[in-house]
Amino acid sequence: MLSRHVTKDISAYCHGELSSDESKQFAEHIISCLKCRTKFEEIKLGIKLAEQLPLLTAPDHLWTELGPQITQINPVTNRGWSWQLKVAAAAVLLLVSSLGAWWFYSRGRKEVTGKSYWQVTRLDGTPMIGKEAISNNGQLAVGEWLETDGNSKAQIAVSSIGNVDIDENTRVRLVETQATEHRLELARGKMSARIWAPPRLFFVDTPSAVAADLGCAYTLEVDDQGASKLRVTSGWVALELKDRESIVPAEASCDTQPGVGPGTPYFDDSSSAFRESLKKVDFDPDAVARSAALTSMLADARTKDTLTLWHLLARVDGNDRVRVYEKMAALDPPPPGVTREGVLQLNQSMLDSWRDELKSTWMGVDKKVPKPIAEAYWRAKNGLSRRLKEMAPK
Amino acid sequence: MVMAEQLISGQVIEACQQGDRAAFQLLFETYKDKVFSIAVYSSGGDRAVADDVTQQIFLKLFTAIRQFRGDSEFTTWLYRLVVNACLDERRRRRRLLPWGETVAMRNPSDKKPQEKQYARREVSEAVQAAIADLKPKFRLPILLKYIEGLSYEEIATVMGCSKGTVASRLNRGHSQLAKRLAHLNNPAVWGD
Repeated sequence: MLSRHVTKDISAYCHGELSSDESKQFAEHIISCLKCRTKFEEIKLGIKLAEQLPLLTAPDHLWTELGPQITQINPVTNRGWSWQLKVAAAAVLLLVSSLGAWWFYSRGRKEVTGKSYWQVTRLDGTPMIGKEAISNNGQLAVGEWLETDGNSKAQIAVSSIGNVDIDENTRVRLVETQATEHRLELARGKMSARIWAPPRLFFVDTPSAVAADLGCAYTLEVDDQGASKLRVTSGWVALELKDRESIVPAEASCDTQPGVGPGTPYFDDSSSAFRESLKKVDFDPDAVARSAALTSMLADARTKDTLTLWHLLARVDGNDRVRVYEKMAALDPPPPGVTREGVLQLNQSMLDSWRDELKSTWMGVDKKVPKPIAEAYWRAKNGLSRRLKEMAPK
Repeated sequence: MVMAEQLISGQVIEACQQGDRAAFQLLFETYKDKVFSIAVYSSGGDRAVADDVTQQIFLKLFTAIRQFRGDSEFTTWLYRLVVNACLDERRRRRRLLPWGETVAMRNPSDKKPQEKQYARREVSEAVQAAIADLKPKFRLPILLKYIEGLSYEEIATVMGCSKGTVASRLNRGHSQLAKRLAHLNNPAVWGD
């Protein structure tokens, strides 16, 4: 939004046809420009669809029918090749027969730039890729596991869009790396990701949710039971499972549980009583206990906690939804056009309008500041704060 | 370019120029599937028409190969023949035949779990049908990109236009595909 729109460059960006400077400018613009981001999602789908075009096999009869016509065109035949040429021809024919199948099956999994692996750097100890220990650098191919023990750490370069630090006792697998999607699986342990690419290019599968990068930095932890905890330090991350989605901004966290999916996001500076109650609301199987926890949660909620309350609107029903609405309306009234009835009926466009209005509060920016500037300021502030923390002596 | 194409050396082309039948066969085997694929997708899925177009392309190639002087890449020269032949065929027929009527445009996510393994094939068929409906100026860059694996620069040379035009046409082609097949933007369809 702060620079020219980049919609015309979207395909070229996805195909790695832009220079590194152009790619960087593209990513910076698209993170803050809703118009270009919407178009980016559309083109990305178009690319994903086009990648499904199969290579067809020409029927055998073509050569049989062509042969006699070629003889007519070129009466001079079989002039005799050198032995080197015959060897080359045999090699080509052999290759052609096997490469067709190889090409078809591998094409969809290969990044346009030709890389179908990520570079791994050892940070400490002896991380393993499959059964091989890596000395200083290694390559993580699609389908391979990277595992660290209690004394080792590693860093993965996520194509050209960011990097991921892998902590001790962690197990991750590279699921996919393509121009339109990069995907890791975190089976257990902890990772920290810093991604500087347009939203929804980098995903992490966990046993209980999928973390979709929306242009950000975050840590993600999975325990032995498959539950996970996401903490966002910059930008936004979406945690998804089927039709349940939690949008988590910087300085907020979200827990997930197997069989339930993503819980409700909360700010890290919310009170411990608020977080304890939320845990019950999200994961307690007893409906009465959940409703009681909601009462206590609403009593502790601050204006900033509308992040949590907005997500809860669609997750509670009946009188509980009315109570959540009323608390939200008291803390930060809905904008014009968003009605009580509409919200209680979960009218999506009204919910989205209210969320867009609340974003300024969640980002800690005055509502009078134009949204693109507010978002740019907030990202810069988050990034600076994160870098200062990284630079601080341990 | 795949390895086999890189192995098509100047010697093979020279042998073709001298009328060597074995060299012709080698050239044919190397490029037949890619040429045939483009012909099929450009003829709206009509394989009989694609057979004819593929044969015409190779006949033209073998007839004209003596004129190939190596001023440009051989593949660029070949794909220019392919593009021109497909455009000529389209002009001749004036209209595209509809894609095979067996291609159902229903949403593959509607399928039962046991049918999920077929969902990707249905996506592929839906894409083929949508590609057939694109205007040639949007369809051909997509085929050259995804079937031949050419770079923007190579596509520009083959189509006789600028790299910027290629980028723009691919963008519009992708956009039209996405709009036409928006119902496939569903993780269930892709087996995610």
